[in-house]
Amino acid sequence: MQVAALPIETHRRPVMELRNISKSFGATHALQSVSLTLHPAEIHSLLGENGAGKSTLIKIMTGVHQPDSGAIHLDGAPVQMASSADAQRKGVAAIYQEPLLFPDLDVAENIFIGHQDRGPFTRWASMYEESARILDSIGVQIDVRASARGLTLAEQQSIEIAKAISLKARVLIMDEPTASLSAYESERLFQLMQDLRGRGVSIVFISHRMDEVFRLSDTVTVFRDGRHISSRPRAAVTPQSAIAEMVGREMGLLAPRATTAAEGVVLSVDRLGRDGAFEDVSFEIRKGEIVGFAGLVGAGRTDVGLALFGIAPAHRGRATLDGRPHAPRSPRQAIDGGIAYVSEDRRQLGLSLPMSSSANISLPVLDRFRGMLGMLSRKKEAEVADEFRRRLHIKTASVEAPVGRMSGGNQQKVLLAKWLNTAPRLLILDEPTRGIDVGAKAEVHQFIWELAAQGMAIMLISSDLPEVLSLSDRVLVMREGKQMATLDRKDATEQVVMAHATGQAE
Amino acid sequence: MNGLRLRPERVRELSLLAIIAIAVLVFATIIDGYLSPRTFNRIASSVIIIAVVAAGQTLVVLTRNIDLSVGAMVGCVAYFTGALLAANHGLPPVLAIALAVAIGTLMGAVNGALVVFARIPSIIVTLGTMAVFRGLLVEFSGAKSITTANLPSWLVNLPQMTVLSIGSFDVRAMVALALVTIILFQIGMSVLRVGRHFYAVGSNPDAAHFTGLPVRRVIFSAFLLSGAMSGLAGFMTLARFGTITVEAAMGLELESIAAVVVGGVNIFGGAGSIIGATLGAILIGTLEQSLFRLQINQFWLDALLGLLILVAVASDSVLITRLRKFWNEARAKRRRLPAATDTPS
Repeated sequence: MQVAALPIETHRRPVMELRNISKSFGATHALQSVSLTLHPAEIHSLLGENGAGKSTLIKIMTGVHQPDSGAIHLDGAPVQMASSADAQRKGVAAIYQEPLLFPDLDVAENIFIGHQDRGPFTRWASMYEESARILDSIGVQIDVRASARGLTLAEQQSIEIAKAISLKARVLIMDEPTASLSAYESERLFQLMQDLRGRGVSIVFISHRMDEVFRLSDTVTVFRDGRHISSRPRAAVTPQSAIAEMVGREMGLLAPRATTAAEGVVLSVDRLGRDGAFEDVSFEIRKGEIVGFAGLVGAGRTDVGLALFGIAPAHRGRATLDGRPHAPRSPRQAIDGGIAYVSEDRRQLGLSLPMSSSANISLPVLDRFRGMLGMLSRKKEAEVADEFRRRLHIKTASVEAPVGRMSGGNQQKVLLAKWLNTAPRLLILDEPTRGIDVGAKAEVHQFIWELAAQGMAIMLISSDLPEVLSLSDRVLVMREGKQMATLDRKDATEQVVMAHATGQAE
Repeated sequence: MNGLRLRPERVRELSLLAIIAIAVLVFATIIDGYLSPRTFNRIASSVIIIAVVAAGQTLVVLTRNIDLSVGAMVGCVAYFTGALLAANHGLPPVLAIALAVAIGTLMGAVNGALVVFARIPSIIVTLGTMAVFRGLLVEFSGAKSITTANLPSWLVNLPQMTVLSIGSFDVRAMVALALVTIILFQIGMSVLRVGRHFYAVGSNPDAAHFTGLPVRRVIFSAFLLSGAMSGLAGFMTLARFGTITVEAAMGLELESIAAVVVGGVNIFGGAGSIIGATLGAILIGTLEQSLFRLQINQFWLDALLGLLILVAVASDSVLITRLRKFWNEARAKRRRLPAATDTPS
């Protein structure tokens, strides 16, 4: 899929090639016939929105996932990456945003864990010597005998890099390595990357920061919806063209909805902040209004929602709900105040999977299901659950069947039902359609729409841009815990939102 | 948690009934005069103590915790209640039972407080209190025993008291007391709103917190109730044996946990029933008393209990998963719906 001629220094035999890789999880096609070619001594950036398939691709490159079809070639010969240990042996290593070190082992042990000398004994002397030599060669001053606990994130990353060097990695994947680094630390990392490139290492670089990508890359590849869109030398790409390719999909079934007449203010948030999560966030949601929260993963959108729901309360700022001060210290208080939170993680935070859908739906407001002698009325529970089953088209043999056995889309509808059953004034939706199929997605959209029309105030956190843009009356864009922009529906285009989310807005 | 169809949990309970029946038949062929009211009473007096403790243990295990101190609590309650009764022969029976339950509840509160407020894992907390409670017992008793001679006559005669006779089978008062308590607990777990809380907290504590449930209060009350049930079992132990040494009810933690897991309560919390645990207690009591009559060494009995726990937990994860999968696939074929749930990438 090479489009233009590659720069001279990388115009050699590729070190790694992915040919027509496909991977599905259930009904979700994470990757569809993706090809990628990596050359030695190259920094190759991968761009794409959340869910474009980058993570799946690197998991396949490092042997964490096996592709459903397609082939991986190293030095022109087909290989299988059976596990991440296998990939490391073959010279493919990865560094993640959060380094995976063992805090109770020392620096040298961390560098050599998993690939010490053969035989049962550790050769401590040679291990320390070799570690010191590697760290010295990349200009990092850390005591190799110090324990890894208490190292800064940047130091931890240099240990990961040292580990990759000790593995003699020829392909090094760096997944958002700068996301939690300071500007100075990032500079050091960039020097290291260029240094590694000088040694002939092929670096796959993933970052949401366009400036970094365009400063460092030799090649820029764009993914969208699990497909490879383009691979071009840096000189042939601009940030604008890359963003256009990242978001440039058809709008599909979603037509922008008519604005619902907005009356009273339900939620008003003034300069809300929480240490290490978000700062100075202010907005209002009126009755019947949908306010979309756009931004990259980790931009602090979920943290704002969790603060309003009392899970991780805000440290600063004020919020009012229906005109009354709103500072919940627990989810119970938030629920009693009229807020519902449909979590993005329906398995971990949303549903009790072994329990039936009727039991899940009644759980937040069990007090309302009182029958004879104050006992739990299963009849009422079943009636309510059945009503939601009809309204939301939940496909299940019985509302008494455990939700763990349902499909993702149906689980999502049960989760929605569970929270609608609390009859909230404000509904916070966090990634309400992640990982569910197209049909269920359209139904959920339709339903969100109806709820707003009935006067519910809705806070919609979503990384699915078309979803945010078509459903929202206003779009609030966040980046690294800061509110970058609040756009009216007419001003909110995919390009403008992405530019704010990646810090490229002028 | 009721199902219209035969759920894996029900299969577990039905197969347990079958195993109990087979065990009884096997013992009946080996032991002369096994199928007699005498055997029934002997086994029942052992089963009820295990079953009552197992009911409390079930609540604890449902919330993803464990209570290793039940044996020590039962021993303490039996001894202290015995000492109180020895000193005050005039104490009314109902008050004696209430006192026993209160002492147990107090000890359960210690466990609960340490787990919930000090945030110490329950396996460590109850391992510690198991030793501490037993130590208190040794200290306060001065290693002296309670004997039948010190106790009021109503208590000494209680194990023989019969409330109902079916043919030549007598239902003893203590069996009735245990049955009523267990049935009340089972009903409470299925019809009370708080019963639902135990399952919700155990099956997904994070989601329970997110849903606004009082997670810590639920866990605390599980330990409290386990203590209360141990209190009742302590009273029963006192009545059953009359003689209480500092070693009373040692090993009951193993028996109760065996009953719970054999009865199909998920050791990782969130699933299981009091009825299941009671069936487990019946199996274990039957095996113990019958093997005892065959003069099998106590050490082998303990080893058998350990083996039962391992088999039960292993079959739980393997068998139940297989059964689920099988049913899912069968259902999917029937409805031509995909059984697979999608995995987030």
